[in-house]
Amino acid sequence: MKTTKYIIAATLAVLGLNACEKLLDTENYTASNTANFPASFEEAEMMVTAIYSNMNHMSSRPSAGTFYFVSELASDDRFGGSGGQSFDKLLVTGETAFDFSWAQYYKGIYLANSAIEGLKLMENDVDDREKYEQLLGESYFMRAYNYYEMGTLFGRVPLLTSTTQDSNSPQVEPDVLFGQIASDLKQAIDLMSNKPWNAYVEFGHATKWAAEALMARAFLFYTGFFQKDSMPLAEGGSVTKQEVISWIDDCVNNSGHDLVGDYRNLWTYTNKYTVDDYPYTAGVKGVDGQPLLWAGNGNKEEVFSVKYMNYCGYYYPGQEGYSNFYIPFFGFAGTNGTGNTFPWGNGNGVGTVNSGLWEDWNREEPGDLRIRASILSIEEEVPDYDSGDISGQWEDCGYWAKKTLPVLAKAAYERQGSWVSSIFWAAYPEFDQANNYGITNWGGHFQDLILIRFADVLLMQSELKEDASGMNRVRARAGLQPVGYSLEALQRERRHELCFEGVRWNDIRRWHIAEQALSGQNNRAMNNAGADVVLRDGRYAERYKATEGFFPIPASQIRLSAGVLQQNAGWKEGDNYLYTVWNFD
Amino acid sequence: MQVKLTRFFLTLALGLAGISAWAQMGVKGTVSDSYGPMVGVSIIEKGTSNGTTTDLDGNFTITVSDNATLVISSIGYATQEVAAAPQLTIFMKEDSEFLEETVVVGYGVQKKKLVTGSTVQVKGDDLAAMNTVSALGALQSQTPGVNITVNNGQPGEGFKVNIRGLGTTGDSEPLYVIDGVAGGDINSLNPSDIETIDVLKDAASAAIYGARAANGVILVTTKQGKEGKMQVSYDMYYGWQNLYKRPATLTAQETMAMADEKAFQDGNPAINWEGRLGAKTWKRLQEGWKGTDWVEAILVPNAPTQNHALNIAGGTEISKFSGGFSYTDQNGILGKPVASHYNRYTARLNSDHVLLRSGDRDVIKVGENLTFYYSTKTGIGQLMRDYNDIRNAITASALLPMYDDEGNLYDRKDKEADGWVYASNEANPVLVMKSAHGNNLSRNYGITATAYTEIMPWSWLKYRGAFSYRMTAGSSRSLTVPYHAAGNTGSDAYKVDQSASLGHRISWENTLLFTMPKQGKHSFDALLGQSFEKTAVGERMSVSNSAPDGSQLPTMQGDMAHAWITNTANSLTATEIGGSPWPEWALLSFFGRANYNYADRYMATVILRADGSSNFARGHRWGFFPSVSAGWVVSEEAFMEKTRDWLSFLKVRFSWGQNGNQSISNFQYLSPVAFDPSHTYNFGNTILNTTATKPVGAYATNLANPDVTWETSEQFDLGVDTRFLRSRLSLTADYYVKYTRDWLVPAPVLATAGTGAPYVNGGDVRNEGVELSLGWNDHVNQDFHYGMNVNFSYNKNIVTRIANDEGILHGDAEVLDHGGSEFYRAQEGFPIGYFWGYKTAGVFQNQQEIDEWIAAGNGVAQTDPQPGDLKIVDYHKDGVIDDSDKTMIGNPHPDFRLGVSANFGWRGLDASVTLNGAFGHQIVYGYRSSTTDAFDHWTGEGTSNRFPRVGTGATGGKSVTDTVLENGDFLRIQNLSLGYDLKHLIKKLPFQQLRLYVSAQNLYTFTKYPGLDPEVGFGGNNLYGGGNSWVSGIDLGSYPLARTYLVGLNFKF
Repeated sequence: MKTTKYIIAATLAVLGLNACEKLLDTENYTASNTANFPASFEEAEMMVTAIYSNMNHMSSRPSAGTFYFVSELASDDRFGGSGGQSFDKLLVTGETAFDFSWAQYYKGIYLANSAIEGLKLMENDVDDREKYEQLLGESYFMRAYNYYEMGTLFGRVPLLTSTTQDSNSPQVEPDVLFGQIASDLKQAIDLMSNKPWNAYVEFGHATKWAAEALMARAFLFYTGFFQKDSMPLAEGGSVTKQEVISWIDDCVNNSGHDLVGDYRNLWTYTNKYTVDDYPYTAGVKGVDGQPLLWAGNGNKEEVFSVKYMNYCGYYYPGQEGYSNFYIPFFGFAGTNGTGNTFPWGNGNGVGTVNSGLWEDWNREEPGDLRIRASILSIEEEVPDYDSGDISGQWEDCGYWAKKTLPVLAKAAYERQGSWVSSIFWAAYPEFDQANNYGITNWGGHFQDLILIRFADVLLMQSELKEDASGMNRVRARAGLQPVGYSLEALQRERRHELCFEGVRWNDIRRWHIAEQALSGQNNRAMNNAGADVVLRDGRYAERYKATEGFFPIPASQIRLSAGVLQQNAGWKEGDNYLYTVWNFD
Repeated sequence: MQVKLTRFFLTLALGLAGISAWAQMGVKGTVSDSYGPMVGVSIIEKGTSNGTTTDLDGNFTITVSDNATLVISSIGYATQEVAAAPQLTIFMKEDSEFLEETVVVGYGVQKKKLVTGSTVQVKGDDLAAMNTVSALGALQSQTPGVNITVNNGQPGEGFKVNIRGLGTTGDSEPLYVIDGVAGGDINSLNPSDIETIDVLKDAASAAIYGARAANGVILVTTKQGKEGKMQVSYDMYYGWQNLYKRPATLTAQETMAMADEKAFQDGNPAINWEGRLGAKTWKRLQEGWKGTDWVEAILVPNAPTQNHALNIAGGTEISKFSGGFSYTDQNGILGKPVASHYNRYTARLNSDHVLLRSGDRDVIKVGENLTFYYSTKTGIGQLMRDYNDIRNAITASALLPMYDDEGNLYDRKDKEADGWVYASNEANPVLVMKSAHGNNLSRNYGITATAYTEIMPWSWLKYRGAFSYRMTAGSSRSLTVPYHAAGNTGSDAYKVDQSASLGHRISWENTLLFTMPKQGKHSFDALLGQSFEKTAVGERMSVSNSAPDGSQLPTMQGDMAHAWITNTANSLTATEIGGSPWPEWALLSFFGRANYNYADRYMATVILRADGSSNFARGHRWGFFPSVSAGWVVSEEAFMEKTRDWLSFLKVRFSWGQNGNQSISNFQYLSPVAFDPSHTYNFGNTILNTTATKPVGAYATNLANPDVTWETSEQFDLGVDTRFLRSRLSLTADYYVKYTRDWLVPAPVLATAGTGAPYVNGGDVRNEGVELSLGWNDHVNQDFHYGMNVNFSYNKNIVTRIANDEGILHGDAEVLDHGGSEFYRAQEGFPIGYFWGYKTAGVFQNQQEIDEWIAAGNGVAQTDPQPGDLKIVDYHKDGVIDDSDKTMIGNPHPDFRLGVSANFGWRGLDASVTLNGAFGHQIVYGYRSSTTDAFDHWTGEGTSNRFPRVGTGATGGKSVTDTVLENGDFLRIQNLSLGYDLKHLIKKLPFQQLRLYVSAQNLYTFTKYPGLDPEVGFGGNNLYGGGNSWVSGIDLGSYPLARTYLVGLNFKF
C-alpha cells in the first residue's frame, strides 16, 4: 500500500517535471538549425547559393587583403597610388591588414563544406541527378577556388574539409593543400554538366569548363612556383601535365566559350552610353569590322566571374560588396572625375600604372591596339587632370588602368545632375540607385569581376602544350601577326593580354622572374600629391626574397591558435615589414 | 452621574446664553527631552487651530477649553496627546518611527530595522522633486552603489545603469520589478506615479529573483490608495533648456591655418585657397566672413520642456484607489531644423477592495494595478562615428557655406558651381541631417494590468495570487529625401521605412506567507512561492521602400507627414519586407524565504530560488540560487545602555548569496541556419536586379554550444546601519565583494571556424567596493528644518578570467577613426572595457632628445623621427614599437562616485540642491582636432610636450595613444530648487498646499574635461550600428545634457 503511494507520488513528480520542461521548450519559427537542415533539395541548393555570396562579401572591403586587390598592387604593373602603397612594397600598414580576407576565405570554405555535407545528406532523395551532381561539383569548385587564392596569397594555411573538423588545425604543406585543390577540381570536372557554358546553368554558376581552367591555373602555379612535374591528389596519385592538357583542350573545344570580336569590347568604356562620346572609341570600327560595343556582363569570353547587383548597402555586414567595389578604389583621387577627365571617374586613387609597362610594351609590340585599350596616358587623353595638392594623388606616373577606372556617361549626367555620380550604369533606364549605398559613384558599379577569361584559357593551353596556336588566336583578335612559341613570347603575351586582371602577380612568381620584374619599378619618376619625386628604391627584391611573395598570417589568429599557427617568413618580429610613410625618395 | 448631568445642563444653559468665559482654562507647561528643555515644540488644542510653541526655556502658556486635549509635537519626536491641566510637565521621547518604516524586499515588505541585506529606498516624493523626465535621472545622486550614467542628452534616451560595478560583458542592466511584475520599463512611468523605489544591491536581497538578479534588482512601487479624505494633487513645471557648453569649433581662418601648417610640415606646396574654395567663397573670406558655425546653426535656443501630473487617491477601509495621469513633453536643444523631441502620456489606476473582513483581518481582498503609457520620439543621428549629426556639426569644415545664393542648403551642385574642390567629401551637415537622419518618428505604447487576490484565512497564513498581462507595441517611420551633399554623401531617392511591432507577456505567481505567532521573543515567518512568466508570440513587421526621384507618387512630399510606404509604391525595385515573430521565452520558478528574529535583536534570513529558463537546452535549464544573511542590532543589547544618549541605533549585517543571469538570446545551444538576402547571389545576366528576383542563400549563423548555461554572481556584503544623536545623524556603510562568473560571451573562435562564434560561459569579473551614506536631518524649531545627505561609493573592477587562449575579448575596430584599430577590450587583470593603446612620453623637443631616446634602446614609431614627433613608449624596450607595446592607457570606470543633496525649509519656503560627481576615470576626447584645442600642439621647442606637430607621420601612424584621453572627473550641480508654499501666507486658500517653485538643472559642472559633457555612458557603435554594451567613456560628440531653468507649481487639495 505504502509502496503504491510512493510509486504514484514519484510518477506524479516525474510527470510534473516533464510538464515543467515542456513549458520551457520553445521553437524558432524563422530559422532552422544545423540539426534539421537541409530538409529538402531546395534547401541544399540555397546552401550552394550562399557559397557564391561570399565572393560579394569579399568585395565589400577590397583593400582589406583581398586577392585581386593585393595581386594587382603587388605586381610590377601597378604602384600603390593613394592607399595601396604597402601592398605594392610587400609591406603592411599594421598587423590586421589580412584579418578580413583570411576570415572571409574561411567563411567561404565553411559554406562550401556545409553545402557538400548537406548535398550528400540529400543524395538519396534526389530525382534530378544531373542537377544534384552539378551543384555538388560547384561546391567542390568553390572550395578549390577559395583554397587556390589562399594558397597563393598565404602559402601554408590550415586545410579544413568538414564543418566538424577542429578549427584550430595546423597549417598544411603546399603539397597537401594543392593536393586537395586538385582533388576537388577533379571531382568538380567529373560531376558537372558537359553542356556548353550557357546551355545548362545561369551565368555565375561554376561550370565544368571553369573547373578545367582553374585546374590548369593551379597546376601551372604549383608546378612552376614549387618546381614540380605533377600535382598530387589528396586521395593519392597525382594529376599529370598530360591530364591537364586534355582538360584544357576539352575546355577550348567543347565549352562554347570564345573570344569576343574586339578586345576593347571587353571593357566598359565601350558601353553604349559612353562609346560615342569618348574620342578614343567614337566612330572606331573593331578588329571584327563592327562598331565598338561592350560585350556586356556574362559574355562568351567570361569563364568565371564575380557577379554584382543592385543590392549594395549597409544593412548586413558585407552588403557593400554587392557592387563591384574594386572599381571606385581604382578611380582617380582628388577633384578629378567631375567632367574634366571624361569619361573617367573619381575614386580612391589606388593602383596607378607603372610607366615601365607603357614603355616596355611600346618597345616590344609598338602597334598593339591593346596598349591604349588597356592603359590611359594622362598626357595623351586627359590634359585637364589635376594631380592635386591636399588629398592629392600619390605615386602617379601619368598612367592609369582603363580596365578598372570608373566610366562616366553623358546620359548618366543628365539623370544625376552631377558628374561625380554619373557612372555609366546610371544611364540605364532601369537603374535604381536606391539600394546602392544611396551613392552612385560608390555603389553603382555592376560590371563582373572576371576571374577567368577565355583568352587566359588559350594562353594556358599554349603554355602547357608549348605550342603557339592558342597564343596566336589571342594575338589575331588584337590584330597582331602570329609568332612562334617561346616561353619569353608567351610571358610577354600574358603580360599584355591579361594586364590588370589579377593574374600577373602569380605569373611572375611561378616563372621565378618576380625579383627582377618588381625591381623594374625602381627609379620611376612620379608625382606625390603635387610633388615630383623619383622612387629610388622600393626595396622590392629584398622583400620578395624575404617573403617569396606570401603575405602574413593574421597575428590575432596566431595568438588565438596558441602556437598552432606559424607566421610566414619575412613577417616575423624584426623583419621590418611595416609601412609607415613614403620614404623611397 | 449627577455631576455630569448638572454640568450638561449648565453648559447648555450658559451656551445658550452665549457666555462661555468660565469654561476656558489657562495651561502653563514645560517641555523637555533627555537633553533638557526643548525650544519650538508645537502645542495645539486638538480639533482647533489654537496653538503655540515653547520658548527658549521650553515653557509655554496657552488658554484652552477646560476639557481640551493638547497635541504636543516636534519633528523627530513621538507626538503626544495629553489632557489639558493648569500645570504640565512633558517629556518628549525621540521618535523611532524610522525603525517602524517598511521597505519592499521582493514578494513582500519588511521592517527596515530587520532587513539583513543591503538595500536602499528612495521616496517617490524625493524623485518627483527633481523634475526629471525619467525616474532614473532623479535616482542618480541618491543611491550609493547604483551607477546611473546618461547615455546621451537627446530627449527620450535612456540611462546606463549598473549596480555595484559592471559584472558582465553581456546584459548588465538590473532587473526592474514594477508593482511585483518583473521586466517592466521604468521610463514608462512618470516620477510622480512612484511611491517608492527600493534597490536590492547585495546578492542575498536580490536572491529571491534568482535567475535575473545577478545585476541587482530595482523594485518600483507605484502610488497606492489611501484611506481617508480624498487627495487630489496637480504638479506641473515648464522649463527652458539651452546648451550648457558649446565646443570651441574652428573658424574658417583657423581651419585654413591648421591646414597650411600641415602642408608646410609635410613639405607640400602651400595650399592655393582661392583655387580650392572657389572665387566666391574666397571673396567672402576676404570680406571678413568667419566661416559657418555649424553648432550654432543647429542650436535650438530655449527649447521648452514641460510636465503635468494629476494624482488622485482616496478610499475607505473597504475600498481604496489611486489614479494618476501625466503628460511630459521635452524638446531637444540641438538638431534645428529637424530637432529632437519626446513626449509621453501615462495613466495609472490602482485599487483594492476587501470582500470579507473578520475583525481587523482582511480575509479576502482583491485588487488591481493598471498602467498605460504612450510615448513618441523623434531624434537626429548620433552614437556612431559616421551617422552622427552632433559630430558632423562639430567636425564639419567652417569653410563650407551653409546656404547658396538662393537660400537653399549648400550642396554638391553648389560646390561644383562655385568651384569648391577643397576636401571633396566635405558635406553640409545640416543638409545631411535634414534630408537623411532627422526625419523619423517612433511611437511606443504599453499596458500592464495586474489582478491579484489575497486570502488570509487565519492570521498566520496569507495567500497571494497575481496574474499580470503586459502588452507593448511600437511603430516607427523614417524618411530620406533626395539630396546630394558631397560626392560620397547623398541619395537620389525617397526612402521610407515603416515598421510596427507588438508583444505580449504574461506572468502568474502564487505565494503563501506563514507568520508564526510570537513564541516569547522568537519571531518566524516563511514565504513559499511559485511563478511562471512567458512571452506569447509577438510580431514585428517592417517595410522599407525607395522611389528614385521622379518615380514617386505625386502625394510624396519631403516631410514626415507624407512619409508613408504607399507614397513610394510606384517603384518596387528596392523593397525590403520583414515580418518576424518576437522570440518566445519562458521562465518557471519556485522560491522560498524564511525570516527569523529574536527580540528584534538577532535576525537571519535564508532564501532559495530555483529557475528554469527557456534560453537553454534541456539539462542546462535549471539553476538554484541560495542566499543567507544575518543581522545583529547591537544597540538593543543591554551593554549598549550607556551609549544610547548618542547612539540611537546600530545594526551590523552580513550576507552571502548567489544570483543568476539568464539574459542571452535563445537557441545558442543550436547552430541556427538563416535564410536572408545577406547571402543572395546574382546568377544570370540581369544586372540591375535586387534581391526580389534572386535566390536567397542559407547559412549557419554561428556554431552551437549545447552546454551554454547561466552566469552566476556571488556576493559577500558586510554592512552597518547607524543612527546617532536622536536619530538626526545617520550613517550606512557597506563593504562588498562580487564575483560574476561564467559570463555568456561569444567565444573568440579562430577565423578558420568559418562562421560566428558560439556563446560560451567564458569570463569572470570581480567587483569590490565600499559604499557610505551619511545623512543629517534636524529641526531647529517648528519653522526651520534642514538636512543633508552625502553618498559615496568606491568600486574596483577587475576581470579575472576570459576562457580563451588570449584571455582577451576584443572591442570593435574603427570606432574612433576610419581604419583605426581596436582600442578597448576586456582582458584578464584589467577592468572591463579598459582603453588599450600606446603610452606616450611626451614630444621630442629637439634632435638631441631623439638621439638620447634611441641610444637608450627605445624604439621609435616614426620611420624618420624629427623634433615635434610623438615619443611612444617602447614598453618592452626591444627597439620596435608594435602592438605588444600597447597597454592600459585609461579606465572608463570611475573609482569614486559622489552624490550630495541638501535641503532646508523655513516656514513656507523650501530650498534644495543636489550634486553628483564621478572621479578617477578617463574619457576618449574624440573631436579635439576640430576645436581650438587642436592648437595646443607642438610648434617648436618647448611649446608642447603632449601633442605632436601636425604633420603626417608625427605619430608614426599610431592613432591610439594616451593623447586621445582626458581625465573625466566631474562634479555637477544637478538641481537647485527654491519653492514657496502660498498656503503659508494665505491661510484661507482652499488647498492643502499651493507651492510655487523655480529650479535650475545642470547649472554648473566642475570639470577639467574639455569636451561637451564629462558624463559619457556611450561606448561607440561600430559601422553597422551595433556595439558592445560593456564599453563606455568614448565621446565622439554625443548629445549633451541641457541646462534647464524651470518654474513649477504643486497643488494639493
